[in-house]
Amino acid sequence: MQISFLIHNAYGIGGTIRTTYNLANTLAEQHDVEIVSVLRHRDEPVFARNPRVRLRHLVDLRRNGPGYEGDDPEHLKPARVFPKGELRHDQYSALTDRRIAEHLSTVDADVVVGTRPGLNVHLARDTRRGPARVGQEHLTLDSHSVALRTQLRAAYPRLDAVTTTTEADAAAYRRKMRLPGVRVEAVPNSVPAPAVEPADGSAKWVVAAGRLAPVKRYDLLIRAFDLVRAQRPDWRLRIYGSGKQKDRLRQVIDELGLYNHVLLMGPAHPIEPEWAKGSIAAVTSSMESFGMTIVEAMRCGLPVVSTDCPHGPGEIIDNGVDGRLVPVGDVRAIAGGLLELINDDALRRKMADAALKDAERFDPARIAERYESVFSGLVARGGASGIGRVRGSLHRTRGALLGGAYAVRDAGLTVFGKERSA
Amino acid sequence: MTTLAPQAAPRPTGEDAAAAPRADCVADSAGGLTFDLPQPDGTGEAAAGRAHLVLRRRDGLQEVRLPLVPAADGRLRAALPGGVDLPEGRWDAFAQTADGPPERLAPGLNDLRSLVDRAPDGARGHVAVRIPYATKHGNLSVRSWLRAPHAEAGELHIGQDALDVRGQVYGTALAPDAYAELTLRKGTAVLRAEVHRDRTAFGFTVDCTALSEGVWDLWLRPAGEGGPRVRIARLLDDIADKKPVYTYPRITLETPAGPATATPYYTGDNDLSVKVTTP
Repeated sequence: MQISFLIHNAYGIGGTIRTTYNLANTLAEQHDVEIVSVLRHRDEPVFARNPRVRLRHLVDLRRNGPGYEGDDPEHLKPARVFPKGELRHDQYSALTDRRIAEHLSTVDADVVVGTRPGLNVHLARDTRRGPARVGQEHLTLDSHSVALRTQLRAAYPRLDAVTTTTEADAAAYRRKMRLPGVRVEAVPNSVPAPAVEPADGSAKWVVAAGRLAPVKRYDLLIRAFDLVRAQRPDWRLRIYGSGKQKDRLRQVIDELGLYNHVLLMGPAHPIEPEWAKGSIAAVTSSMESFGMTIVEAMRCGLPVVSTDCPHGPGEIIDNGVDGRLVPVGDVRAIAGGLLELINDDALRRKMADAALKDAERFDPARIAERYESVFSGLVARGGASGIGRVRGSLHRTRGALLGGAYAVRDAGLTVFGKERSA
Repeated sequence: MTTLAPQAAPRPTGEDAAAAPRADCVADSAGGLTFDLPQPDGTGEAAAGRAHLVLRRRDGLQEVRLPLVPAADGRLRAALPGGVDLPEGRWDAFAQTADGPPERLAPGLNDLRSLVDRAPDGARGHVAVRIPYATKHGNLSVRSWLRAPHAEAGELHIGQDALDVRGQVYGTALAPDAYAELTLRKGTAVLRAEVHRDRTAFGFTVDCTALSEGVWDLWLRPAGEGGPRVRIARLLDDIADKKPVYTYPRITLETPAGPATATPYYTGDNDLSVKVTTP
């Protein structure tokens, strides 16, 4: 198969970018794969690329380069196709609208894959007849604004498949969107086996890693660690990452006098050697659309104590077997979960072994197989055959009408305030 | 202990890390490092025996050349054993094949887990610490410390008007007349603090109200007045730059001269100091 990914910026750092490389690199062993990056702001991508994956960009934003297009008058006009309710709308323009449409109307592929809602809207509108259209959701339906969801309802019926990272989110798509003929599949993000040896469970460190953002609730983790210290002052906590909450977290550490026990490490890339310095990983988020760090830590041989928040942790962790799920927002429960593993070396090591084994299901080879089966099913159904093309266009027309009807109903709901944005 | 003779340093290539080869670094608990590099293209056999990993000190005056030898996985490996003396400082890492110019290296995977909570034996009278790190330009360098003897800072406790310091000596014993010394960096003032000792562990309390404005450096005199003056530092983990990671609350003071604050911090060399400021 020829598979073409469309991504916001393949040259940046982030979960979607990393997981797209993991998938593309693996698929490229069997298939013809390209990544098309809407924007490009630096010469080389941060993440490793299989040389068999072709990479190109649509709009050049390298400031000191000869091809810089950031000052192009068309790029200064707001985007009209890329939806307004999308978080990245400000970075899109009349120029990106045009370049993406040109790309998709001529794309040489059996399958095109969009990697965020705004690009999936482009896929639904602009892709020439023929290729199967797959829209990936890396966040969750409920995390989108009402305005964006309305726009997605209008566009998504013209996709062939929508993939989510969790079963919970796939269920939300099936329940809340009318997507006749559109396959909705949960396919988790993939995480490769780390290039470092797994942790041996002897280090007296708890490790957490992520953006220092309010949703991660590292304030709760620090408060929980105050209770851990009371029992086990020999254990300490490292939090990797940067973000706006840093000063606030520093303040909590200082207030509790935890400056010898809790370290804010700053960002680390690659993160695998940092996981390997710990024996337990902690996640205290109020929401995780997937929970990539949980899988990363497990692949490095760490059992994870995580809040059972929507949507990912409960689908990754087998509670009590390869990690521990604790209630959201409960400092005592978080501390209890950590202490359970700190105080029982045998249990910690048993869970670490289970975590290593259970996390193998997220290996890129296994995840790529699942995508491959979705893609080949779509190609067989529609894609290349003439009959499929007719059927495809019929279902798209019908879908568009249904989507339109939904949009009207949404407008009414918004007026009456019955539907709240997440 | 082997000492590598300093050699004249050739001109390095530029600081651009974009296309630089990446070196994976593994640290062992004895202070040794190994560097693994990809085999350069088209130089397979020629590289063997003639390729070197070059560590060049920032001052440009010293250079250490480590032979790069083929490793089992088809890569090249250089070893810097713990017993090899690497003077204190920042050492930039280069790869040099045959007669080519040295090529600046970029950091790959640094596996430094054996440096975390390191407890070296100070039996040989000194402590050697090497921590590979990424420079702000994205290149690979190695920080080196060589302390004989060494006074490692551990937990600090911020109290009312006081700073409590705990630590551990390596390569020396603590005599009954051991004490801590505080010196004003820009000036001649010297203060003493009484040391509590328990085998190789020490502790002392700094009365911050006695400190005038300025930066105070903390020292240990493990053998009393007659012995060495040892700078107190935090070196025994995997963190190359302690300052942004180990940070402490300010101590608010009411001194006869008015209000002031005292803040302990680690210097660019990971030595322990206290900064006293008045508004």
